[in-house]
Amino acid sequence: MGMMNFAHGEFIMLAAYALYVFAGLPFPAAVASALLTGIAIALLAERVAFRPVRSADLSTQLVTSLAVAAILQNVVMVAVDARGQSVATPASLSESTTIGGISVPNLEFVTLGLTAIVLAGLGWLLYRTRTGLAMRAAAENFDMARLLGVRADRVIAISFAISGALAAAVGVLIVMQTGQVTPTMGLTPVLIGFVAVVIGGFGRMFGAVIGGLLLGALSSLLGAYLPDGLAPFRDAIVFTFPVLILIFRPHGLLGGEIGKARV
Amino acid sequence: MSGAGFRSRSSAAVSLLVPLALVAIVTLVGASGTPSFQGTVTLILCNLIVVLGLQVFVGNSGVYSFGQLGFATAGAYITALLTLPPAFALLQTPGLPPLIADAQLGPLLATLIAAAIAGLLAVVVGLPLMRTSTLAIPISTFAFLVVVYNVAANWDRVTGGSSGLVSIPTTTSVESAGLWAAAAVVLAIAFKWSASGYRLQATREDEVAARSIGIGVMRERLIAFGISGVLCGIGGALAVHQSGVLNPTTFYFGATVTTLTMLVVGGARSVLGAVVGAIAIATVNEMLRGLENGADLFGAVSVGPAPGLAAIGLGLILLATMIAMPHGLSGGREAGELPWIRRLGLPATALPPGTSGVVAGRTTGDPVEKGVLRAEGITLAFSGLRVLRDLDLELAPGEALGLIGPNGAGKTTLVNVLSGFQAPDSGAVTLDGVDVTGRTPTRLARDGLGRTFQASLPFPHLTALESVAVGAMGIGVGRRRAATVAADVLSRLNLLGQAALPAGSLTPAGQRLLGVARALATHPRYLLLDEPAAGLNEVECGELVQILRDVIEDFGCGILLIEHEMSIVMELCPRIQVLDDGATLCEGTPEEVQADPAVVEAYLGSAFLAAADA
Repeated sequence: MGMMNFAHGEFIMLAAYALYVFAGLPFPAAVASALLTGIAIALLAERVAFRPVRSADLSTQLVTSLAVAAILQNVVMVAVDARGQSVATPASLSESTTIGGISVPNLEFVTLGLTAIVLAGLGWLLYRTRTGLAMRAAAENFDMARLLGVRADRVIAISFAISGALAAAVGVLIVMQTGQVTPTMGLTPVLIGFVAVVIGGFGRMFGAVIGGLLLGALSSLLGAYLPDGLAPFRDAIVFTFPVLILIFRPHGLLGGEIGKARV
Repeated sequence: MSGAGFRSRSSAAVSLLVPLALVAIVTLVGASGTPSFQGTVTLILCNLIVVLGLQVFVGNSGVYSFGQLGFATAGAYITALLTLPPAFALLQTPGLPPLIADAQLGPLLATLIAAAIAGLLAVVVGLPLMRTSTLAIPISTFAFLVVVYNVAANWDRVTGGSSGLVSIPTTTSVESAGLWAAAAVVLAIAFKWSASGYRLQATREDEVAARSIGIGVMRERLIAFGISGVLCGIGGALAVHQSGVLNPTTFYFGATVTTLTMLVVGGARSVLGAVVGAIAIATVNEMLRGLENGADLFGAVSVGPAPGLAAIGLGLILLATMIAMPHGLSGGREAGELPWIRRLGLPATALPPGTSGVVAGRTTGDPVEKGVLRAEGITLAFSGLRVLRDLDLELAPGEALGLIGPNGAGKTTLVNVLSGFQAPDSGAVTLDGVDVTGRTPTRLARDGLGRTFQASLPFPHLTALESVAVGAMGIGVGRRRAATVAADVLSRLNLLGQAALPAGSLTPAGQRLLGVARALATHPRYLLLDEPAAGLNEVECGELVQILRDVIEDFGCGILLIEHEMSIVMELCPRIQVLDDGATLCEGTPEEVQADPAVVEAYLGSAFLAAADA
């Protein structure tokens, strides 16, 4: 939609908290409730906060999303606790499977599989369906799409619902990996996402994927090979990396059009 | 102020004195309170300095930065390390070089050093970041904030790690914080009213138009980013000398949201807004904090302790402001520009009566007239669609060339190529014999190429006078002289009466003329006008022809006129070039062009000709 949403991290966080609140339910039901929470909170934020500033400039939307993020984060702090809470995860996920002599945690399979399904599904939705066409049209030129009969409010609500569902998936995966939830847990993933988009170039799904992979690879490599003295600075180095790319490619690796001024 | 000025002396004085008075009131109220109240007010004043730092960059550039608190962190740590007594330094920061560990500077010197280093850091960080787009800057500055936090939290032997530093000398008093805040107000206003400040504001109002008048967007953003870094560094340094403790989260995400809320609620475009916002939000924040600790509302509703309540409140205020009042409490105006202050009868600008007598352009007989703007073999395709095919064009100073053709013929694209907004696939543009193909619009504007846009692209929040003056500033003319040039150009275009109005409030015709005036203020030798008469009525069209005729005569510049209103082209241009489908169809005098059957066919279609023949 040509907008960046700081509050996406809080969608992730709230979905994860749903997992914590509904920990008593059977695991699939708890995951379903997390998914529904992610979608519901995204739709709510769209209706209350983002729709009123839709026609405003990108900076206004960005600051609006920052406000939403701050509100959601602190609501959780007041309602639950500022400290983290631990969440039990199914034992089957923490076991490992041995393939060709390498022991791989089951969770890695789930993460990989889910990522592949989400990417394929998103690609299919955006590029192979009517709704996807409408979404891309609305992202390209909102007013024109509207004039052509695209039901803009619905399209935007759908894209928020999708982003809420994706956030929930991320939230569940993070909880599976770390076994806990904190009010600020959304900050890092959303920042990584933003930086990936900046590296890749705005408005390019493929660019964001490349940017994300680069960041992930860099983070792992640094984790493995950084000398002990520098190890604590891994995140600092990872986030300095985009700056180096931007020196040579100010508009990202693939150089998207959004954000560039038009004549 | 002699000659023309952007504001009258009284209006300028009000704009400066009102925020200073607010700072003075806060300082005096703070100084009269209990020691703990004094501490609170001191921190509010430090926050105010950081918010002013934000205003210098965010307010004037319109680009949000989420990283400015990183400079506050840098300033705070530097001054803390420089002032820590050696015994404490040895205990908390064993990794510090002995030179710094043993140093125990006075707070003033340490604060100045901290400010200088924070500013330097801002310039170094800003060099790559300012190259990126308006949308990438908020994100990459946020990444910078995280980097600073990570370094502060993990460099245990120097920063004390996540537990931070204690026993930092507490030397900042309410009075000294107030003095620094007053100095910051003066600096912020001085920058806003400087030539660099005006150029930056023009990029906020319209980046494309700003580049067309010679403004280097990256350079102006970088200057403000550096100044902002200095102010944030000072704010951070003073704050740490109030509280005596410092840890990596002191100026992190929470403080970023708080200071941004202060700026946005007050109105980012004005210094007054930064001051009002900082004071108002700080007051609300303190009240909410009181609630957090539990309180009885009017003795009826009892609220238990709820940490985080203040942050929720601030978030809601920020959200409501963005939705309902995006220009903030001040409306983005300085005190002297407020409507109810205006009504007191302050003159808005200090304009000379009538023309100033300064000729903005070059006089006739200038040797410059010998040059020529030439395009040769320009070819351009947009993903396979050939828009320009082997086009040639020539324009001499003092000449008026009409460029006509049906919609989609490539007229505007050709102007974009000539003015550097679009690089051609092949072909060359030469300016007075020098190959300028590939030069940026900014550079070309300084080389003497002016242009206007079909969509006018005004600077809505600058006054008409400022909009035109910034054109002169774009090519390096100083602020005062630019005001004189602008007044002169405006009077030639009969716009002097509207000089003090915001450009956004002018009629469409007025904005179009203002676009011409803005380009003229850059002293162009070649002026490319893209449909200047669109939306003008018959009377205004007649005036436009007269104005353009005077422009050619007085300024001696060559005019390339794209126009669909044929009467204007025929009347003004002795030579006309007709484009169709990206190629030159014919070229000649108005009579020759009108008589050419190919031109008639291109405009009306062969079917029409066939029908007319039948």
